[in-house]
Formats: sequence, C-alpha cells, structure tokens
Amino acid sequence: MQCKIIDLGIIDYLRACSIQKEAVTSVVSGSASSTLITCEHPHVITLSRRSERKNILVDEAELKKCGVGICFADRGGDVTYHGPGQIVLYPIFDLRQYKKDLHLYLRSLEQVVIDTLRDNFGLNAHRRDKATGVWVGPYKVASIGIGVRNWVTYHGLSLNVKTDNKYFSFIRSCGMDVKMASINDFFDDDVSLDSVKDLLVKNAAKVFNLTLI
Amino acid sequence: MVQVFLPELGENITKATVSFWHVEEGATIEEGSDLVEMATDKAVFNVPAPCSGTIIEIVAHEGDTIEPGEALAVIEEDTVAPKDKEEVE
Repeated sequence: MQCKIIDLGIIDYLRACSIQKEAVTSVVSGSASSTLITCEHPHVITLSRRSERKNILVDEAELKKCGVGICFADRGGDVTYHGPGQIVLYPIFDLRQYKKDLHLYLRSLEQVVIDTLRDNFGLNAHRRDKATGVWVGPYKVASIGIGVRNWVTYHGLSLNVKTDNKYFSFIRSCGMDVKMASINDFFDDDVSLDSVKDLLVKNAAKVFNLTLI
Repeated sequence: MVQVFLPELGENITKATVSFWHVEEGATIEEGSDLVEMATDKAVFNVPAPCSGTIIEIVAHEGDTIEPGEALAVIEEDTVAPKDKEEVE
C-alpha cells in the first residue's frame, strides 16, 4: 500500500479531526493515497458517543483551570486524554488495499507499538486479551480507538512517551481502572519524542507493508 | 424493497452494536450516504445506503447488537433515477 507521511506537529484536536475528515474523503474516492498522520495535541480529554461522563473524574471548572479541553470524538473506545509528550498516530489507511478486517487492523496497530517498544527500547510490551491497547508490565502505555468509513480508517493510537501522568488521574482511561505510564518512566535518561515518532513510522511501514512516498 | 444487512467485518468479529442512526423511518436517502454508525470493540464504522430510496423500516435499533448478515433496515428503492426524476419534474 502506498502511503505518504504527514507530521502536523502540535495541533489542536478538532483541527486534526478536520484534516483527517478531508483525507478520508480523498482516500475513499481514490484521489489520494493512504496517509499516516503524526502529531501531538495540547491537553484535551476526548469522549466517544458511548463514553460515560462519569468517567471524567473532575468537574469542568477544574479541567478549565488546568487548561484541559473536552471534545467529542467519532471513534470507538471510551474516554481518553491527549497532551504534550504523547505521540498520536492517525493512519488514514485504505483497508481495501490491506485487509477488510477490523480486528486485524486493531491488532496490527498494537503490533506497531509493541515492535517499537520491544525492538528499540528493550521493553516487555504486550497486548492483553479483550483489552485493546499496549501494556508494559501492569501499565498501559498506548491507547487505541478508530473510525472506519467505507473501509478507510481514521483516528488511531496514542503512545505516552513523556506524558505528565497526573492528567490521566482526571479520567477513568478507556472506562477502565488502569494504571497509565509513559516510556520515559522506565528509563533514567530522557527519551526523545522525535526519535520515537520516527520509529513508529518505520514499524508501521513494516507491519502494514507500506511503500512510503 | 431492499434489505440492508450488516456486512462481514473480518475473521473473529461476530457482532456489532448499533451506535447511531443517521436517518429515521420515512426519510429519503441517496445511495452511498450514511445510514447508520455501528460499533465494535474500539472501532466505529459506517454502513452506507446500497441504493437511493425511502427508509421503510429500521429493523435494528440503537443499542441492539447484531451479527454480520443480519438485517439493519429496509429501503423502498427509488424506481426513477435522480437524473430522470429532474426531467420528469
């Protein structure tokens, strides 16, 4: 599958959603190739249609004081947090050119992160049965929630690299009682966000057999 | 009458839940536009209308969990194509 890479840097969550929507329309129509978007977001909590408000554990006034916005997300999964130090990947992939299998796609996204953390950082990253995402030991380090339109994907995954874990205390991540962590928590030296981003792109190319253009 | 079914979603995906209907019974719809949003595990996906017409019946309602191959809705298909319809009018 041919794929172009776009790094949006630090970008407002809703602006990134709008960019994804345009990209999906182009890929569905065949007027553009699959695209892998990487970015970071300012502090934001996102809720899907099925999210329960009770999974946001602090009131809106407190969130506002901490500079955390709340946005609706047309993706699967429950409530999640995005913020500085967290890499977000939004693959706009035409699954008609990969395989029309939603669960395979989710497992493949997990594999991108697992391969990155195991092969490049020596971390025992793994998946858990019936709990989509990536764990290191008891800690969840990557969350996944996707949308699919006419077999073209949007939204994707977020990997905590040097995220301030205090912000996760504002929510019940993914509607579950999980302990969240960042890659940085497992090392004494600071982990470079850009180097992790590059490794994720490299492993995505390998897992999804991408021809980068 | 055209029955709209939940399509195959891949191996090991045996069900999906109706998340949100974009239309209601009696509404008209264009081929390819969104009928319904479905959800499974960490994914939401659209089911587009297979033809233009009128929604006669919503078979699976929001919150219902159904299997691939089960009916979502029934559409009374337009007998006049949109272009022909303009000429008639």
